[in-house]
Amino acid sequence: MRNRLKVLRAEHGWTQQDLGDRLGVSRQAVNALETEKHDPSLDLAYRIAAVFGRPVEDIFDNPHA
Amino acid sequence: MELASAKGTNAHKKYLLRTMAFMGGYVAINAAAITGAFDDIGRTAGLALGLVVAAPVAGQIWATLALMGESDEFMRALLAKRFIVASGLAMAIACAWGFMESYGDAPHVPAWMIYPLFWALFGIVSPFIRTSR
Repeated sequence: MRNRLKVLRAEHGWTQQDLGDRLGVSRQAVNALETEKHDPSLDLAYRIAAVFGRPVEDIFDNPHA
Repeated sequence: MELASAKGTNAHKKYLLRTMAFMGGYVAINAAAITGAFDDIGRTAGLALGLVVAAPVAGQIWATLALMGESDEFMRALLAKRFIVASGLAMAIACAWGFMESYGDAPHVPAWMIYPLFWALFGIVSPFIRTSR
């Protein structure tokens, strides 16, 4: 799923490990999200939105819109 | 919230310890069998031995499921995909070999070989399965 995760993470100066720690997932999971090798669950998408303080739609493109 | 790195490390440490324990038991029984330790144990003990050697196999599957339960959603999906593909290939090879034995005079291979075959296939397919889709 296309997303702005890498850009947002860079804006915060976080490594993939930093973001993974904040989300409660592995660095590999963050990498998979950024490279579109994993579509997040609704729960993880909301956790990501909460970490960046933005709505989910600002971070992930809705593939069905 | 538990840190992912610590969570992952703990889950993998537990998995490694469990794997060493179960695989150690499995290898010890097989090593004893290879050296002929069970050649004259009799029918009843031989049947019981089959159940004993199955215990670490079942334990290892439990350890893998426990690792999946303690991993994040991406790692869980990867493990599940790799497990399914390796299982499917192992079953396909076992079925093919069984028919080759029955109808093609292929040499006999013991059924327990499916277990090391499965893990060998798991190792082979893992580098190629890198997405959760």
